[in-house]
Amino acid sequence: MRPLEPTTSKQRVAYGLAFFVLFVALWSWATFGGHVSKTFLANPLTMVQEGYELLAKQGFLFDIGMTIWRVIGGFVLAAVIAVPLGVLMGAYKPIEAFLEPFVSFARYLPASAFIPLLILWAGIGELQKLLVIFIGAVFQIILMVAVTVGATRRDLVEAAYTLGARDRGIIRRVLLPSAAPEIAEILRLVLGWAWTYVIVAELIGSSSGIGHMITDSQALLNTGQIIFGIIVIGLIGLISDFLFKAFNAWLFPWKLA
Amino acid sequence: MTALRIDQVSRTFPARAGNVPTRALEPTTLDVGDNDFVTILGPSGCGKSTLLRIIAGLDRPTSGRVTLDGREVTGPGADRGMVFQSYTLFPWLTVRENIAFGLRERGVAQAERHDIADAFIRRVGLSGFENHWPKQLSGGMQQRTAIARALANDPKILLLDEPFGALDNQTRALMQEMLLGIWERDQKTVLFVTHDIEEAIFLGSRVIVMSARPGRIKAEIAVDLPHPRSYKIKTTPEFVALKERLVEEIRTEALKVAEQA
Repeated sequence: MRPLEPTTSKQRVAYGLAFFVLFVALWSWATFGGHVSKTFLANPLTMVQEGYELLAKQGFLFDIGMTIWRVIGGFVLAAVIAVPLGVLMGAYKPIEAFLEPFVSFARYLPASAFIPLLILWAGIGELQKLLVIFIGAVFQIILMVAVTVGATRRDLVEAAYTLGARDRGIIRRVLLPSAAPEIAEILRLVLGWAWTYVIVAELIGSSSGIGHMITDSQALLNTGQIIFGIIVIGLIGLISDFLFKAFNAWLFPWKLA
Repeated sequence: MTALRIDQVSRTFPARAGNVPTRALEPTTLDVGDNDFVTILGPSGCGKSTLLRIIAGLDRPTSGRVTLDGREVTGPGADRGMVFQSYTLFPWLTVRENIAFGLRERGVAQAERHDIADAFIRRVGLSGFENHWPKQLSGGMQQRTAIARALANDPKILLLDEPFGALDNQTRALMQEMLLGIWERDQKTVLFVTHDIEEAIFLGSRVIVMSARPGRIKAEIAVDLPHPRSYKIKTTPEFVALKERLVEEIRTEALKVAEQA
């Protein structure tokens, strides 16, 4: 190993897998070896068994589906409102001056702290879950998109002006395409955060979803199911991240060229 | 006939916290006729880029005014094409789409846009690169595309702000010949800013020498070398004589800058 020396892609995959193997090995050593009590931590085999049980007999697929739909619903709702607002803020400084202080403040309001209030307002139905994710994501997206659009290279904007572009053309054909890959990255990042909010929303006052299953399992001290639930969330996150990355690469070939 | 008239144009940048205002450009007057090729030569920080940006409408003069064909310049527009020193191709557009950008803004139909763009691609010798992204091009190729992009818009005047400043010497020489060839063939009003003496003589019909900050026109020297010019002209006695004279002019200014620093 030398600083910053690249590895081959084969080696990368091997190293990445090696850590998972090491992780499971340590886990097995701790549980099968009797170093940790069964009450606190299920062993890998029990976890797999419980997982199968969940999927085959307890309709866990429905819970997974519910959670995914909530994440995507809340996230899309937030993105549809936040991206245009962020673009406007980035492009027009008076709009930024008008909204930025409030959005910066709202960004630090923890989405989970809104749950009791949202239950009061929207009940414990789907709307409440969507709103938690919406609140958690919308302000973050607005602010990051505004910064990205505002950081568009000035010389590109000037070049467009000297080519006869008007304000509308500047926004549609310079600011937007220039910021688009970054905006896609922001959405990918925030989608990851949305997963945390949805689980929190489901831990409280919910009758379905991965978070709800985890609370139920806690009541039964079924650590195998809890761990399986957490791992499923991680896997879905990994898959959605991968899909998002592939989609972005397909959408913005000029970035990779 | 005068196409571009720069009338007593000056620029002072307002004071920044604790500093005095910077006088970048003294009141400057200059007329550029139709199809003239004027080069503006000066040391860095002499306000030559500021002057060009004011003509382009990207900056406002503190006093004075710029008129093009009798109409006052109040902002940037397609009638003044500009090529920048930095690489300003739109990275998300291909070479062809970059060159067609201005046409698209004017609402020219796609088929016609492509025809015009392809004609300019051939003109600057980039055939085969129509669908390349700017990232895949060398610096010289990017600037050739930028020149084609400005020309495709058919501007009344072409403004070039040290367009070859970041290129290596050999590429730069080839680019100069290419630009001059286009001008000799198409006839265009050109204002070319540079700090390279040889470049200023080789390209220009007149060389305007600017003084160190605050910038003002120090001398104007006609270049009576015949057209078409080839690179070989750079070693003729006439060329060398002009160069000697300009070296003296510029050296005095460069020394002033060095003393100020």
